[in-house]
Amino acid sequence: MITAQIVVSGALMGLVYALVAYGFQLTYATSKSINFGQGELVMLSAFFSLTLLDWGVPYWLMVPGGLLFGVLLGLFVERAAVRLALEQKSEGWILLTIIVGLLGFSAAENIWGRDDRPFPTPISSDALHIFGVSITPVEISVAIGVFALMGLIELFKRKTLLGKAFEAVSADREAAELMGISATRTVMLSYGLSGLVAAMAGILVSPITTVGPTMASALILKAFSVAVVAGLDSGFGVVIVGIFLGALESLTSFYIGSGWREAPGLILLILALAARPNGVFGKAGIRKV
Amino acid sequence: MKKIWVVLLMTGMLISPAWGADTIKIAITGPFTGGSAPMGASMRDGAMLAVTEINAAGGVDVNGHKMPFEVIERDDEAKNERGALIGQELASMKDLSGVIGSVNTGVVLAGDKYLQEKGITKIITPAAGSASMTQWSKAGVKDLSIFRFAADDAIQSAMVVEEAMRRGYTKVGLLFDSTNYGVSGRDDLMNQIKTQGNKLQVVATEKFNIGDKDMTAQLLRAKAGGAQAILIWGIGPEMAAVSNGMAKIGMKVPLIGGWTLCMSNYIDNAGKNGDGTLMPQTFIEDPITPKAKAFIEAYHNAYHVTRIPSPVSAAQGYDAVYIFAAAVKQAKSTDTHKIKAALEDLQEPVKGVIATWNHPYSKWNPADEQTHEAFRRAQVVMGVIKDGRVEFANESDRKQFIENAAK
Repeated sequence: MITAQIVVSGALMGLVYALVAYGFQLTYATSKSINFGQGELVMLSAFFSLTLLDWGVPYWLMVPGGLLFGVLLGLFVERAAVRLALEQKSEGWILLTIIVGLLGFSAAENIWGRDDRPFPTPISSDALHIFGVSITPVEISVAIGVFALMGLIELFKRKTLLGKAFEAVSADREAAELMGISATRTVMLSYGLSGLVAAMAGILVSPITTVGPTMASALILKAFSVAVVAGLDSGFGVVIVGIFLGALESLTSFYIGSGWREAPGLILLILALAARPNGVFGKAGIRKV
Repeated sequence: MKKIWVVLLMTGMLISPAWGADTIKIAITGPFTGGSAPMGASMRDGAMLAVTEINAAGGVDVNGHKMPFEVIERDDEAKNERGALIGQELASMKDLSGVIGSVNTGVVLAGDKYLQEKGITKIITPAAGSASMTQWSKAGVKDLSIFRFAADDAIQSAMVVEEAMRRGYTKVGLLFDSTNYGVSGRDDLMNQIKTQGNKLQVVATEKFNIGDKDMTAQLLRAKAGGAQAILIWGIGPEMAAVSNGMAKIGMKVPLIGGWTLCMSNYIDNAGKNGDGTLMPQTFIEDPITPKAKAFIEAYHNAYHVTRIPSPVSAAQGYDAVYIFAAAVKQAKSTDTHKIKAALEDLQEPVKGVIATWNHPYSKWNPADEQTHEAFRRAQVVMGVIKDGRVEFANESDRKQFIENAAK
């Protein structure tokens, strides 16, 4: 029974890693670039949402507001740090996204201060007991939110014209452009969606983690491991790896000791890179020379 | 090139203000931002309240000449490397009379050696880690200019273990964070359990990192061992995560730990899960004496708050300044070495908000850190959190404090 409890608690944290990792995956698919400041997007959206709540905006109106802010941030990152670098086929986006992230971090420290603050939520945090496992409604909301958002985005990619354009650019950028699809717009879209995912992650985890400038710094490293282990092409791969990593961390700290908590994730990362450099769920890329 | 010189000259003018010879220059250091900020900022604000009061009355009487305090502030951000830099900077100031502050044990360990080298008098408050003072006794330093004004971890851990035994517990879980403070707290607790007769069985010894939010695994180990209480050493946000985790897994046992549990970032983030948490306190925001009432009101009015973020830090900062002022007066000089000698032998009792301090320090003896520690067990009480405020855990303590003040 204890094992079940540990697995569930860990898996829930793992879902959050997965959601952040999914944000990496979205932009990598269309542009082969990653926003290294994704954690700051999570944090800034959370702070913005908290500010909306402080202004008296009701919770259910705050959610779309926070998500919209996330989309705008994503678009800003794309315009400021990624677009030019991609046009020039340079790797400048690596540094530029890090810089935009640092900028966001400093801005948050100056606007909102460096303290961790509680994030009020109408969802109860009193534990429910399901088959002997304690779980809070807030945690359930995290799970539902993660699955719902990822499901919707995957559905959008498969069923709508815009989504198909997204898939086309992911598959082959040049060919898609020849078919009349604007790759630039599609990359914009992917960054917007990635910002949306970051904002959702911020709003979902804040009631559990509290809001502070450093709230995402630990999260982002885990998410990055998840994205790399799962492979940067697989949407649902990140969910499976995220859940697995989260559960593994909790199990390690229970059965081996809390000092070893971070070890399995790193071992997993090394093993994955050694055995399957494209990720466990990744496709082996064919590179024409 | 010319421009650079102009800029350099201008910054030079900005950072080297002309210190008047008729002020007592002191530095207040601590984390004014970050996770430890409630303690650092409250300490600073409490100390500034005392400075303002003293300056409003014309200053300290130094050999028949009234001199006001002049304060420089340094934010160490709770970072050890910043502590070292600030220590070096302060040690190089020629006319510095003393230093008051430091919240984090790691910062103290990194920075104080520079002050000690130059013999600059420092009153540590509210950093409580034992290592801050034992580092000097272990090194066998003969002449020490570092004093402490905080209930050290030895007193606190003794009270925590006492409280657990008083409540009739036999099994406890031990949680601590991976910083200098947390690890030395764990050692203190283990020592205390041993010296108090090994009546508590430690069923789990668990570590967590700064920034951790999911404490389920650690808590389940304690729960599986049948812990009747969690003894904890850490700072606010992570301890709040522990309280919230306990509520989640239905672990209804009290959290007893170091005084940091009274930090607002613990109380706010733990919410109702923080109710019943116990910790040693040197000052409780309860206007039980006229002096306490005046202090609390002055703090609320000066900083526009209805609750002091860390009452203990604020009160200690306030009293530390008065003790320092008394030493300056007795030394009849702003020379930091003479102030140190006066602190070691304070003649006049200092009426503070926590207590009336009678001869708080004595000549440093490397075999006994207590010579430079102001607090004894008698000045510390158990506090409990009720509805987001810290109150006296035992009514008898409250009465005792009122009686002491009336004396």
